[in-house]
Amino acid sequence: MSSEIMIPPVLYMIAGAILLPLMPKNIRSAVFIVFPLMALAVIWTFPDGYLLKTSFLGYELILCEVTRLTRIFGIIFALIAVIGGVYSFHIKETAQQCAALLYAGGALGVTFAGDYFTLFIFWELMAVASTYLVWAKRNSESEKAGMRYLLVHLMGGSLLLAGILIHVNQTGSTSITSLVPDGSISSWLVLAGVALNTAIPPLHAWLSDAYPKATVTGAVFLSAFTTKSAVLVLIKIFAGWEILIFFGVMMALYGVVYAVLANDIREILAYHIISQVGYMVAGVGIGTEMAINGTTAHAFSHILYKALLFMGAGVVLHTTGKSKLTELGGLAKAQPVTLWLYMIGAFSISGFPLFNGFISKSMVVSAAGEAHFHTAMLLLLLASVGTFLHTGLKLPYFTWWSEPKQNLTPAKPPKTMIAGMALAAFLCILFGVYPTLLYDYLPFVVNYKPYSLYHLTETVQILTFTFIAFWILRGKLAGEPLIALDTDWFYRRPARLVQKVFVDYVNAAFDYTDQIAVKITQMMVKIGRNPVSFFNDEEDGGDFDPNKHRSSLEFLMGLIIISFVIFAAVSLFFSE
Amino acid sequence: MKRWHWLALGFLTAASIVAEFIFLADYPKAHWWSYVPAFYILWGFVGCAGIIFISKWIGKLLLQKKEDYYDVL
Repeated sequence: MSSEIMIPPVLYMIAGAILLPLMPKNIRSAVFIVFPLMALAVIWTFPDGYLLKTSFLGYELILCEVTRLTRIFGIIFALIAVIGGVYSFHIKETAQQCAALLYAGGALGVTFAGDYFTLFIFWELMAVASTYLVWAKRNSESEKAGMRYLLVHLMGGSLLLAGILIHVNQTGSTSITSLVPDGSISSWLVLAGVALNTAIPPLHAWLSDAYPKATVTGAVFLSAFTTKSAVLVLIKIFAGWEILIFFGVMMALYGVVYAVLANDIREILAYHIISQVGYMVAGVGIGTEMAINGTTAHAFSHILYKALLFMGAGVVLHTTGKSKLTELGGLAKAQPVTLWLYMIGAFSISGFPLFNGFISKSMVVSAAGEAHFHTAMLLLLLASVGTFLHTGLKLPYFTWWSEPKQNLTPAKPPKTMIAGMALAAFLCILFGVYPTLLYDYLPFVVNYKPYSLYHLTETVQILTFTFIAFWILRGKLAGEPLIALDTDWFYRRPARLVQKVFVDYVNAAFDYTDQIAVKITQMMVKIGRNPVSFFNDEEDGGDFDPNKHRSSLEFLMGLIIISFVIFAAVSLFFSE
Repeated sequence: MKRWHWLALGFLTAASIVAEFIFLADYPKAHWWSYVPAFYILWGFVGCAGIIFISKWIGKLLLQKKEDYYDVL
């Protein structure tokens, strides 16, 4: 079986992006779904250990490497592309559909890449394709945010490439293998490049800046691919790097703090991507089999429930045109189905029993405890309090339940949007109720039982009292029409100053010099035409006219006499 | 919040306390906080309030600006 050549899943998606514009317009949305379905089928049938190699300029490229780890990531990426395709069925913009296919393809390419060069190419494909999903919103805000997003990702890509080149130069090998924290510059550069896509603070601000400004459907794809494909690369290369435990826990809490301050519903969700990816990063740092299983399971669960949450927020934005808590409220009666499908995502991310977050998040937290990282475990539990507080309580309360801030009459959402949500919600519950459906596909054998009495007791106590504290203090959580500064300040705020100093002032200096040069030229032309008129102080002497401007005889005689007198006087003076 | 909502929460809390002190009384105490009775009740409540107050405080002190902050210099 492994001797057969199988087409890498990424090629199905790229083929899709090429073929889609050639299809009749009215079937493009349906055809869109076919390509990730084909990729899903191929990933499913790939045998473990399958390798597709080729050589390029003397280097061995591993275009496709199938392991238990890459397969489960490949499955969820293809699956969420299918669900995203259903949710965005109403979209009639082919460029956006092609960008989404390329983006998903890039994620699959990164997933199965076995060497650094292949990884880097698909890494950049993801950056470029995903930028279009921000730009496609077509307003000045998304145009600027998309440009920032692209520039930051190109910087991340450059860090990664620099690391790769040094690594290949030092070791002579391009294959992706786990690295040890030995202080080599190449490892840290690769880590920085990957950390940027994983949205580890302070390299995270592109996410919370761009995702809320993307298109309604684009944000669903964005929420799935970039950070989770980076988590997979972290697992492949940096498992067991303990510094990642610190960063993982820090980002889990960082997202929580900013979600308190956020007013835009998709920004709240974006900050909670950072928070949730923190669990995965911490899991990679712990590095035990249980932690890697937990990280993988949590990435799988997270993609499903986070896409569902973004779909719910997207329906609100699509039907009301509003996405700020200060403008929303009271939509529960008009949107009961959207609300409850959203709540399934909220219960999942909050780790309610019978939902998929419960069976995956707890695995990472327990792995921290079992590896004796007690403080990390306790802080991750605190972050889960914040998750329920924002995604499960603050956002739905102020969007659907609280008093409406203005009279909103939401339009009816397309049925396919609801169908996409229902599909994701079904899977969130399915894996929550039957965790073995997921556990059987994790990289290592799972000996973890999520539904233990201890774990249920712990969860019930935390969630119940988080709710009670929220209810008492809910007045403090109402949205405010403000923004919260994040690390993008460092390139957004000085950008205005840099523009003034290096563009506006330089332009002004050039303009001034230009004006002076023109004035001097005009003056020279005037003098050149008739120097005599310049000496005679005439306003406009016109061209030189010998009759008018030639000096008179008296002037010449006078000049000769004065010269004679001066010479005579000087000779007399010196002769003595 | 209706009365039955509070009753449901009360029931859940009571059930969790019964489970903790009767069925899990002999559960191995793996962490320092395992010795604090009903620790997770405390952690949920205090954690939630702490997150709200501390985040708001940092926001007011440093982070929150007007929406047009980046548009004007």
